[in-house]
Amino acid sequence: MAVYERSYGRYTGLTTPEWSRFLILPRYAYETVFKSRLFVSFFALCFLMPFVGLLIIYLHHNLSALQFLQLPPEELKRFLPINNEFFWRGLWFQGALSLLLVLFVGPALVSPDLRNNGLPLYLSRPFSRTEYVLGKMSVLLILLSLITWIPGLLLFFFQGYLEGAGWIGDNLGIAGALFAGSWTWILFLSLFALAVSAWVKWKPVARIALMGLFFVLMGFGEALNEILDVWWGTLISAWHVIASIWLSLFGLDPSNDLPPAGASWVALAAGSAIFLWLLYRRIRAYEVVR
Amino acid sequence: MNAPSPHPAAVMHPEVPDDRRVIFENVSKFYGEVLGVNRVTLSIPPGITGLVGPNGSGKTTLMNLIVGLLQPTRGALSVLGVTTDRPEELFRLIGYSTQYDAFPPGMTGYQFVYSFLRVHGFGHAESEAMTWKAIERVGLVEAAGRKVAGYSKGMRQRIKLAQAMAHQPSVLILDEPLNGLDPMARAEVISLFRELAAGGLHVIVSSHILHEVDLISDQVVLLNGGYVVAEGEITGVRDEMEEQHPAQVLIRCDRPSLLASRVFEQDHVVEARIHEDGKGLLVRTRDADQFYLLLNQVVLENGLGIETVMPTDADVHAVYQYLIGSNGEKS
Amino acid sequence: MSHPINQTTTPGPVIELDGLQVSLGGRPILKGLKASLSGRCIGLLGPNGAGKTTLLHTLLGFYPANGGTARLFGHDIRTEMRSVRSLIGYMPENDAFVAGMTGIRFVRLMAELSGLPSSQAIERAHEVLFYVGLGEARYREVGTYSLGMKQLAKLAQALAHGPKVLFLDEPTNGLDPPARERMLKLIRDIRDTGEVHVILSSHLLRDVEECCEEVLVLKNGQIATYCNLEEERRANRKFLELELRAERGSGEEAAFAADVEKLGVECAVSARQRIKLVLPEGMEVRDLYQLAAARNVQIRRLDYKRDSLEDIFLKAMEMDTEVAGHGRV
Repeated sequence: MAVYERSYGRYTGLTTPEWSRFLILPRYAYETVFKSRLFVSFFALCFLMPFVGLLIIYLHHNLSALQFLQLPPEELKRFLPINNEFFWRGLWFQGALSLLLVLFVGPALVSPDLRNNGLPLYLSRPFSRTEYVLGKMSVLLILLSLITWIPGLLLFFFQGYLEGAGWIGDNLGIAGALFAGSWTWILFLSLFALAVSAWVKWKPVARIALMGLFFVLMGFGEALNEILDVWWGTLISAWHVIASIWLSLFGLDPSNDLPPAGASWVALAAGSAIFLWLLYRRIRAYEVVR
Repeated sequence: MNAPSPHPAAVMHPEVPDDRRVIFENVSKFYGEVLGVNRVTLSIPPGITGLVGPNGSGKTTLMNLIVGLLQPTRGALSVLGVTTDRPEELFRLIGYSTQYDAFPPGMTGYQFVYSFLRVHGFGHAESEAMTWKAIERVGLVEAAGRKVAGYSKGMRQRIKLAQAMAHQPSVLILDEPLNGLDPMARAEVISLFRELAAGGLHVIVSSHILHEVDLISDQVVLLNGGYVVAEGEITGVRDEMEEQHPAQVLIRCDRPSLLASRVFEQDHVVEARIHEDGKGLLVRTRDADQFYLLLNQVVLENGLGIETVMPTDADVHAVYQYLIGSNGEKS
Repeated sequence: MSHPINQTTTPGPVIELDGLQVSLGGRPILKGLKASLSGRCIGLLGPNGAGKTTLLHTLLGFYPANGGTARLFGHDIRTEMRSVRSLIGYMPENDAFVAGMTGIRFVRLMAELSGLPSSQAIERAHEVLFYVGLGEARYREVGTYSLGMKQLAKLAQALAHGPKVLFLDEPTNGLDPPARERMLKLIRDIRDTGEVHVILSSHLLRDVEECCEEVLVLKNGQIATYCNLEEERRANRKFLELELRAERGSGEEAAFAADVEKLGVECAVSARQRIKLVLPEGMEVRDLYQLAAARNVQIRRLDYKRDSLEDIFLKAMEMDTEVAGHGRV
C-alpha cells in the first residue's frame, strides 16, 4: 500500500534541440487551423488546379486516353502546350488562392499573443524574437509552399519524365521561375499578413485590412499613373508588382500597364522590409516609455 | 420618497444620530434577474468602515447605491439624512474613487481634479485652490502637470483619491484605494484616512487585504453573495460568534499539560489540544473573557511560564473564513 | 534529443549582482547593484520606480545591461542568456496569457517552448495545473477564468518546465482573501519542496514576511538594504506586543499601561488597546500578569514584535516610523 502525494518537482529529463523549437509554433497553429472544416475543404480545393494540370500533362502523353475521350491530339498540343505559359498560368491561379489562404490563417497568428500580454511569456524562455517571427512565418510558409512551388515542381518533373530526352535540361528556366516566383510571393504575403496581424486586434478587421490594402492599392496605383501620367504609381500595388516579376521570371512579354521588372523587385523588397520592421516593432517583451 | 422611519437597534455607536449616518433600510438591488444586493439593512456611523467580501458579493453595488449612481429596486437609503431623490445634494456630500480607471483621455492630473470641481459649480479661483489642496494632500504636486496616461498605478490611485476628496465631501467611498501602492504610500494614505475620520468624515473603504482592514477600520461590513453577513466592530462581531465558533487561542508555555488540566475544569472550554511540538496548548472556548481572566490566575498561582499568547481566529481574516469561507468564488 | 537541463545543483548564490547598471530611455534605472542573493525565498521590495521590475526584466534579458553584469547560478546574463532563461520561471505582474487557448493547451505550449518534448510537456502540464488547483478548469479557455484563476494559470506556466528559480511579480494582485491565502500557501509549499528558489516581488509587506527568509530592498535604483529576516526576528525577542481588554469603558487598559510605565518599562500605546514594550533585564512576563490580575485586565495577545519587516523597510527608506502614522514606538 502506498499513498502518493502530488508535489512540485524539477524537470530532469532530456530537452528538444534548440534550433527546432520555432517549429512548435506551426504545429500548434495547425492543430487549430485544421479543426475548421471550412478550411480543410478550402485547402483540399487548392490542389484541384494542380490535379487538373496533372491530367493535362498526362493527356499530352497518352494517345489512348485521348482517343478514349475523343479529343484530337494535335488540337490539344496547339491549344494547350506545356510550356512556360502553362506553368505561369498555374502559378497565377495558385498565387490567387494563396491570398485567400492567408486571409484565412493570417489574422489569428500574432494578435492572440499580443492581446493579453502573452509575449513576455514567450520571450522569458530561451526563445528569441527572431525565432518567434520565424515560427509564425513558418505557419504560412509551409502551407503556401504546399500549394505553390511544391506541386508546381512536381508537375514540372512529371512532364520532364514523360517527355524524356533532356526536356528538363532545356526548360530548367521554368523550374527556376516556379521556385523563385513562388517564394517571392510567399515571403511577401507572409510578412504582410503577420504585420497586419500584429497591429490589428480583431480577426474580421484584419481580414478586411488585408483585402483592402491589396485591392485598394491596386486601384490607387493605377489611378496615380493616370493622374500624374507616370509609370511608377503602380509600384505601390502588390498585384502589379508581382505580375511584372512573374512575367519576367517566366520570360514572357511584359504588359504595358505593368511597371518594369527591375523596379518591381526593388518595390517588393522594400515592402517586405517595411512589413518586417513593423512586425519587429510589435514583438517586444516590454515597451520602454519615454 | 419620504425619509426613512427610525430603524431598529442601531448596532454601532448608538449615540450617533441618524442624520450623521449612512442608512440602508431593507435595500435590494436587482439587475433584471441578476442579484446585486438583497435586503440590506445597515447603519454606518462616521469613522473608517471596512467593506469586505469576495468578488461578486455586492460591494460595488453597495457603493454605487450610496453614491447615487444606482437606485435601489426596493428599500430606502439615506446618506447623512439626505435621501436618494435629491441627487445634487447627495453628490455634494459624497466623494467616490472607483476601482477601475476611467480617465478622460489626454488630461493632466491637475485638469482631472479641477474640471470635476468646476462641474460641481465652484468658481475658477475656488476650484484652483481646492484642486491644489487636494493634490498636495495626496502628494502629487510634482506630477500634477503631467498626463494621467503616463502615471504609474500608484499615482493614478492617488489622483483618484484627490478627485474624490477635492470638494470636501462628508462621505468618502473608496474602492480598493491602496491597490498598487508601495508600502510607504500605503502608510501615508492610511494616515490620511485616519485624519479624515478623526475630522468626523465617513471613510468607507473596500479592500481585499484583511490585515489592513483589521488595522485601520473602526467597524467592518462583511458581504457575501449579495447579503450582509456581519457588521460592526470586529471584536464585537467575533464575540457574537463565540457560540457557533468558539474562540481559539494558542498559548506557548513551559507546562501545557498543567494549563490543560486547569482549563478543563471550566465549562466554557470546548477543546484543549497540546501543540505538536509539545510546547504549547491550543484552547477553544465559548467564553474568551472568562478564559483570559483564568489565565491570569494560572500564571500567578501555578507559576506558569508563558512565552506567547496568540488568538488564532480573532481578526477579520478569521471572521471572513467562518462566515464566508472559501466558497464565495472558486478561484 | 539534446542535453538534460537543470540537473546539476550548483552550490553558491542564486543571483549575483556585480555592479549591474541599466538605463532605459536614456535614464539610469539601476545604478550599480552589487549583492549576492541566496536562500529559498527572497523578497524584493521597494517603492514604485525603485527598479524592482527592471531588475527582474534585466535578469530575463528583456533589457541589456549598460554596465556591470549579473549571474544566475553562475551563468552570466551578458553571455549566456539562453541558459539563464532556461533556469527561470516567470510570473508577470499583469495579465498574461494567449487568447483562445484552454488552460492545458496554454501550459503545454509554454512547457514545450522551454524545451520539454511534447509527450513530457503534456504530462507535466496536467500535473502542474492540478498542483495549483486548476485541475477542473483546465479544459476551459483561459480567457474565461476569473482573476484568481488567471493568476494561478500564470503560476502554472512558470512551473511547468521545472525551473530552478521562480520570479513572482505581485502574485496576489487583485485576489480576494481566500484566493490570496491559497496563493501564499502554494508559494510556501513550492519553497518548502527545496527544488526551486523563489524571488517574490511585492508591495505587500505581509506577503513577503509570510514567505521569504531574505529581503532585498531597492531604492532609487540602488540597494537600500539586504538582510535576513530570521536573524532579525530572533533579535527582536525582547520587544513584546500586548493586546488588552478590560470591561467596556472602565479605562483599565490605560491604567495597566500606566502601571507598566511606573515599573520603568519603555512602553507605547498604539491603536485599539495595543501596547508595545521592551522588557528590561530582571523583569519577566509573569510580572506583567501580576499587573493584569490586579486590574482585572485580560491579556488577549502577547507576542514578540512581528513586523520586523516593516521596520526594516521603513528604516531602509530613511523614514521616521512616526511619520508613517501608525503611532508606533
